[in-house]
Amino acid sequence: MNNIPLVNDEFVMGFRKQTEWAWLIATAFLLGKIGGGMFLVAMFLDNPLGGLWGLLVVAVGKSAAHLMYLGRPERFWRVLMRPHSSWISRGIWSMISFIVFGLLYLAPSFSWLSWLSVGTDGVLFQIIMVLAALAALLVMVYDGFVMNSSPAISLWNSALLPILCLFYSLLAGISINLYFIGLTGKATTTGLAMIKNLEIGFIALNFIIVVTYILSMVNANVASKESIRLLLKGPYSIAFFGGVILVGFVLTLMFSLFLMGGISLGLLLGLVAADLIGHFFIFFLLLRVGVYCPILGKLSY
Amino acid sequence: MPRYGMVVDLKRCVGCNACTVACKAEHGTPPGIFFTKVFEQVTGKFPIVHKKYVPNLCYHCTDAPCNKVCPTGASHSREDGIVLVDDNQCIGCRACYVACPYKNRYFLPKGHLKKGYFGGKLTPFEEKKYSKYQEGTVIKCTFCADRVDAGQKPACVVTCIAAARIFGDLDDPQSEISRLIRQRGGSQPLSDMNTEPAVYYLEG
Repeated sequence: MNNIPLVNDEFVMGFRKQTEWAWLIATAFLLGKIGGGMFLVAMFLDNPLGGLWGLLVVAVGKSAAHLMYLGRPERFWRVLMRPHSSWISRGIWSMISFIVFGLLYLAPSFSWLSWLSVGTDGVLFQIIMVLAALAALLVMVYDGFVMNSSPAISLWNSALLPILCLFYSLLAGISINLYFIGLTGKATTTGLAMIKNLEIGFIALNFIIVVTYILSMVNANVASKESIRLLLKGPYSIAFFGGVILVGFVLTLMFSLFLMGGISLGLLLGLVAADLIGHFFIFFLLLRVGVYCPILGKLSY
Repeated sequence: MPRYGMVVDLKRCVGCNACTVACKAEHGTPPGIFFTKVFEQVTGKFPIVHKKYVPNLCYHCTDAPCNKVCPTGASHSREDGIVLVDDNQCIGCRACYVACPYKNRYFLPKGHLKKGYFGGKLTPFEEKKYSKYQEGTVIKCTFCADRVDAGQKPACVVTCIAAARIFGDLDDPQSEISRLIRQRGGSQPLSDMNTEPAVYYLEG
């Protein structure tokens, strides 16, 4: 059982790597999580500018990345047909809902969007706020469910994956909103300290989830064990330890700790960049190290 | 309505790949695309080494994960259990490709149908065969649905020199494949995935 080779050859039995979903899908996933996270955290911090950018990242960035990936982008509307069974379909519906309810929620905050405004006092606005938050939450986590719904890749069959999406998304949202707040200088000292503490808390939380996820997958089955080997000891280990651990966790944490001394735009930019690099790498690598089991599940005679 | 399936007798397969070639000829798939193929499986250490051949194709699963994840309904199962892709509905998202535990789907990237086996211009055979495919979509083994509808067996079954592939109705207890599965204990590939493949292997 331990001698199953990782093969590229079409005609040899062994583990096969997932090759179709790579950097473009990882980028689309990243932009969705950033956008949703930015919006949700901006709601919490009452920072409409951050919310608007979150909406734009999803509406323009994520949509464009998905369209670029499709083999037949002119038929993209067909993706809406099967929300009852496909997480991709559900994801696109959640993106549309997010854009619609997000715009309605932000309308009162921007004069050029006032024609969409329903005011901020009525029950209708409260409903819109809840729906926008729910849609943002779905945009943040559905990638995890998309990966999760493929039984073929054992590495992705973990309930921790959508949770990983959620917490990485929230961390990205906090980092970028912190940058916007630093840029505009609108926050109070107490408010700023709270956001910085949140940032450090989420870095620690994400690290714990990544470690738990990897540990839970080591002995899940032979394919997930091979995936973890590729990630930790194989050709992707440099990207994992360099991109995810060093840049994504250590550097982001260092920038956050330096920020405790005072806000600096350079530090904030470094924090956002390090966080997003780590964020991209973890999901890109999870896509790349997904492997398929040999069809008989074993190589014995 | 029958439920079509196949039994592959691993004791009979000699690894000649005649099925691979017959499938190529039947479907005229572009370079690098094999709806069926034969895996070589080598186990053990010298001097005790064992080689086995394992024919591979779409397993036309009853609970096909490719159908579930397809956001457009392009990937679907017929009433007789044959899993097909409607290339007029496929958007090329490759969710089915990733979800197939057996990795038995192929994506036709842009420009792939302009490349023939002999470089430069396509042969008349390639031109004719490629005309049924669409670039930017996913294609796969069809269990030779056209032949089956015409009352024939799939090309790989007909051509197998060792009669290692047997095609028939899984719902008919009197069919040869049902009898073989019963008598020799047919096993489904990656049965723990709960996809209920319609192809069984006979190892014993």
